[in-house]
Amino acid sequence: MLLEVSSLTRRFGGLTALSDVSFNIAAGDILGIFGPNGSGKTTLLNVISGTFPPTAGTIRWKGNGIEGHKPHHIAAAGIVKTFQNPQLFLDLSVQENVAIASHLRLKRELGSRRFAELLPWRGAARYPDISARIDHVLVLCRLDDVRDQLAASLSYGQEKMLGVAMAMMCEPELLLLDEPASGLGEDEIRNLEEVLQDLRAAATTLCIIDHKVDFLGRVADRAIALQQGIKIAEGTPDEVLRHPRVIEAYLGRQHARA
Amino acid sequence: MKVLRWLPWVALAVLPLVLHSNFILTIFIFSFILGMAAVSFNLVFGFTGQLSMFHAAAFGIGAYVTYLAVSRWHVSFWIALLPTIAITVAISIVVGVICFKFKLKAFYFAVVTMAFSELARLIVLNWNSVTNGTLGLMVLDKPVVWIPGAGSLKIDGTTAWYYFSFIGLMMTVAVCAIVLRSWIGRCFAAIRLNEDLAQTLGIDIFRYKLLSFMIANILAALAGSVYAFYIGYIEPSYLSIAQSLDIIAMVLLGGRSSIIGPIVGAFVLTGLPHVIELSAELRVILYGLILILTILLMPNGIVGTLVSRRRAT
Amino acid sequence: MMQLLIGQVLNGIIVGTLYGVIALGVTLTFGITGIVNFALGEFMMIGAYFTWYLVDFGGLPFAVALLPAVAGTAACGFLTDQLLFRFTRNNLVNGLLVSIGLISVVEAGALLLWSATPKEMSYVLTGSLQLGGISLPRMKLLVFGLLAAVILCTYAALSRTWMGRAAYAFAQNPEAAMLMGVKTARLQTGVVVYSTALAGFGGSLYASLYTLEPAMGGLYILKGVEAAILGGIGSPLGSLVGGLILGVTEAVGSIYLPSAFRDAYGLIFVVAILLYRPSGLFGADK
Repeated sequence: MLLEVSSLTRRFGGLTALSDVSFNIAAGDILGIFGPNGSGKTTLLNVISGTFPPTAGTIRWKGNGIEGHKPHHIAAAGIVKTFQNPQLFLDLSVQENVAIASHLRLKRELGSRRFAELLPWRGAARYPDISARIDHVLVLCRLDDVRDQLAASLSYGQEKMLGVAMAMMCEPELLLLDEPASGLGEDEIRNLEEVLQDLRAAATTLCIIDHKVDFLGRVADRAIALQQGIKIAEGTPDEVLRHPRVIEAYLGRQHARA
Repeated sequence: MKVLRWLPWVALAVLPLVLHSNFILTIFIFSFILGMAAVSFNLVFGFTGQLSMFHAAAFGIGAYVTYLAVSRWHVSFWIALLPTIAITVAISIVVGVICFKFKLKAFYFAVVTMAFSELARLIVLNWNSVTNGTLGLMVLDKPVVWIPGAGSLKIDGTTAWYYFSFIGLMMTVAVCAIVLRSWIGRCFAAIRLNEDLAQTLGIDIFRYKLLSFMIANILAALAGSVYAFYIGYIEPSYLSIAQSLDIIAMVLLGGRSSIIGPIVGAFVLTGLPHVIELSAELRVILYGLILILTILLMPNGIVGTLVSRRRAT
Repeated sequence: MMQLLIGQVLNGIIVGTLYGVIALGVTLTFGITGIVNFALGEFMMIGAYFTWYLVDFGGLPFAVALLPAVAGTAACGFLTDQLLFRFTRNNLVNGLLVSIGLISVVEAGALLLWSATPKEMSYVLTGSLQLGGISLPRMKLLVFGLLAAVILCTYAALSRTWMGRAAYAFAQNPEAAMLMGVKTARLQTGVVVYSTALAGFGGSLYASLYTLEPAMGGLYILKGVEAAILGGIGSPLGSLVGGLILGVTEAVGSIYLPSAFRDAYGLIFVVAILLYRPSGLFGADK
């Protein structure tokens, strides 16, 4: 088991966003998380990635507890998250955005030698490996032709792909995607699916939240559903989507009965 | 095109050979030294996005420690810089850890660094046995440089100081350029633009904020040391908030998005009082107005505005 | 010794309420515009000098001079809002820097107009109340009473009137407040004007007790900000309490520790509070 989440609870003042949520993710899985708005999906990703500590419960990553650790620590451990509203370095170009994301890769490759690389005579011809990787990621995410454009000038779909590109650059073992397909056109969704297949082939485990039930149904091989912070179903995407409580959560009481 | 970038530096390097006015060269010397302070401030402010009000304190601490080491331990200026750097590192770590560990947001960070800066000034002001309090310290020594082939040279007199401070400025710029063009500079930019994202990508924002704060303070301390030995007098007002504000004004005026922008700001604000004959109060009013107008009308500063004009055409 | 202690505590309370009224201005401005108006100290100075001028040169009795002095200060505040702060609404760091630039301009202007020579206004209310062997100067009691009253009334107005609640709503969520019809531009201007009026009022009362000099603004704004942070930014009551704690600590501290330390208490409070209870004594616990 790569990731084990046990009894995860998160309260914000009087509001309970997550209540006693437990599930596991095995290496190589693609786990989909379903649930209507406000069900706590984003909070779940935020707690796993370290943005907030849980109020209760544990998260074990490769056997080690990581609940409450700092976000950068968790990223270094191999879990990287994308944001629902694309978070970018707006004043910089697409390429520079991805270059910043090479931080972890650089750290892993060079260790503390990377401080020595600062000395002028060591030269910044530098990191040809990383340049190649940046190129690869940009091409894969179809951002190669806009690599010199400012991130602020991208279309919404491109912004989302840039977020994914940056996450990919970190070479995570587990990638948490928060609504990667929302706001994307059909063409872009197809591209996204290709990227996800590529990630899977590279042995990246994925955990995806999305509203587009058909997209997520296609892409995920296992799923859980949340409603108001509680896990209400678990299984294959088909099983979960046919679960009466899930239908009720999405569509209301009548439809579940029908 | 690349030649054009080097031109100003070459021009500055040969200036004393062409221009023999001590008056003007002195203005340049002040501009160079304050330029060192401004460029280093921009490292933490313009590039990492942290408004530190501690910069003048580092400047003043550098001045005091270097001089005290020289006068009490009878070491050379260069050796005296070692305790200066060590003390600046130590203080930066204390203040930095307090500020960054507690994740103080922008305004509160400015206030806490201001508080520490004022505390430092009060300590210097009242520690009479060491610093002579308000009376200040006279610095009569001069740094000595060993030049291969010419023996040792005492930095005394306008021309010598011109080159000494010019080299100091170049070294400050060089250090900033090396740091900012490396992956560390990318971390700083990430922190400035989007801290949350930076963390998600694995950047330890505490560590890099602290690093930028520390490097900036070290360079400021070195600038302060040079300043003290040039002017020959050190007083607690080196650490005042007013001094911090002067440096901030230089950076804003020159432009905070480039390494050399602050140098332009330093030149303008240092040279201005000598170009315009005004009473002290009117001069302050003028400075204040320049600062306000720059913020409102030219937020990218002189260099920034010129650069974006050129990009637009 | 007891006399000295009590005397100092009283002095501390008076000064503390002065800190408090500036802190109130700081807290209100920050809460609603997001900017700390560092120039508030200068407006206090303007209020003090206007009052002095009207009383000593205009021959007006103090109570009558108060109104035009405060109004004049508020008018200056309005000017700075329209000419300067209006353009920095969306950029807080710029607003901060503009307010700092304003300090130099105003202080230098005051130096030009009135020179650095300290000025003393003629006495307003002489005599003191004798209470159990302790002498309480009447003017100081009056100043304390007036300032405390103003701060408490502001607090009451904010929590009870529609305008006050609108102000809070705006501070919490500007977009939502805008949608609900709160006139945000007017609100922001209003708070700038009100806070400068508060500062001016504090300055006028200050003039009745202490000597005036152009540099006083810089000192008081620092204390005001310290008091506001101590009490909790966003809390009017916190401003008063923070100011009182600061004032009394400084006054009592000067008995036991050298006066050199006086300015250090506030600094230490700020650092301590921001580290251990960043929302301040009265602020909402985040």
